[in-house]
Amino acid sequence: MEGCLQMKISSKLMLFFCGVVALFVLLAVALLAQTRSVSAGYDALLRQQVRQAQAARVVQVSFKKQVQEWKDILLRGHTPADLAKYSGQFHDEESQVRHGATVLAAAVEDPAGRELLNQFLAAHRTIGEKYQAAYEAYVGNHFDFKLADSMVRGQDRAPTDLFDQVVRRLNDDVTASVAAQQRAVQHARNLALALSGGLLFGLGLAGFVTVSNILGRLGRLKAVSDRLARADIEGLSVDISGPDEIGQFGNSMQGVHAAIEELTRLASDAGHA
Amino acid sequence: MATRLTDFYKQAAQEFGLAGRIKLAMLTKISSEKAASVDDSPENIRIFEQALAQLRSGG
Repeated sequence: MEGCLQMKISSKLMLFFCGVVALFVLLAVALLAQTRSVSAGYDALLRQQVRQAQAARVVQVSFKKQVQEWKDILLRGHTPADLAKYSGQFHDEESQVRHGATVLAAAVEDPAGRELLNQFLAAHRTIGEKYQAAYEAYVGNHFDFKLADSMVRGQDRAPTDLFDQVVRRLNDDVTASVAAQQRAVQHARNLALALSGGLLFGLGLAGFVTVSNILGRLGRLKAVSDRLARADIEGLSVDISGPDEIGQFGNSMQGVHAAIEELTRLASDAGHA
Repeated sequence: MATRLTDFYKQAAQEFGLAGRIKLAMLTKISSEKAASVDDSPENIRIFEQALAQLRSGG
């Protein structure tokens, strides 16, 4: 602080300017880092939780389609062409469900969610075996759909409920991650506001003190100059010093003041002689 | 009493006349009236010696 007061006005102004530039550079860097952090957070969210939730919904729909294909087999399977068509579609959906659920179980980090998926896979395998047995009974008994239906009726409820839980859990995970991300963004924003506000306040205070000091000393210098201009040197004291431009000007004014005093004394002595 | 500082004024008047006294006052920032009342401190003597030397060198 002492060193700062000893500086020239030009140095003070340059320091203030550099301070303003440094502050804005700092703010720009901080904003850039914050934007990157927010972007990275949302990217991770999209890559993981959101993608998993989408994949879960696809598996959920595929399972519903698989059950629908089974009903089509029972309803229209008495025709060989339809039997082949709906059986093929049934097995396609079954494979998609199994593959999708297996991939999801490997990707999900939440242990409870992974456990639900494993339970679903086990239940899906079991119901698959039951569907196969019912299919064979259906074909072997002259397309007796009542017999086949009685073998698997209501069996899809348990895996459906299990997978609904998986989807709900993954959706809750996405919601929680978005909320956490929003909290992080809010925290970073508050920090940036506090930091930039504090820096701006500090810089403003330093600027105000510097300008007040300069203006105060300039005012005193002007008062001295005004009295010298009016030749009012009686009791005049030029007490403006310092290493800066105003101090140097005050020093010169002291010389002028002393010269005028000397001149006045000489004139007075000459008048008395 | 600053007799030595007052002597500097006498010296300046002797060598350069009234203009010398005024220039000495301007360079030292101490008029002859004030020089009579301030101390003959080494610092003040040094200032007057330098100012007189400057007058002699034509500065």
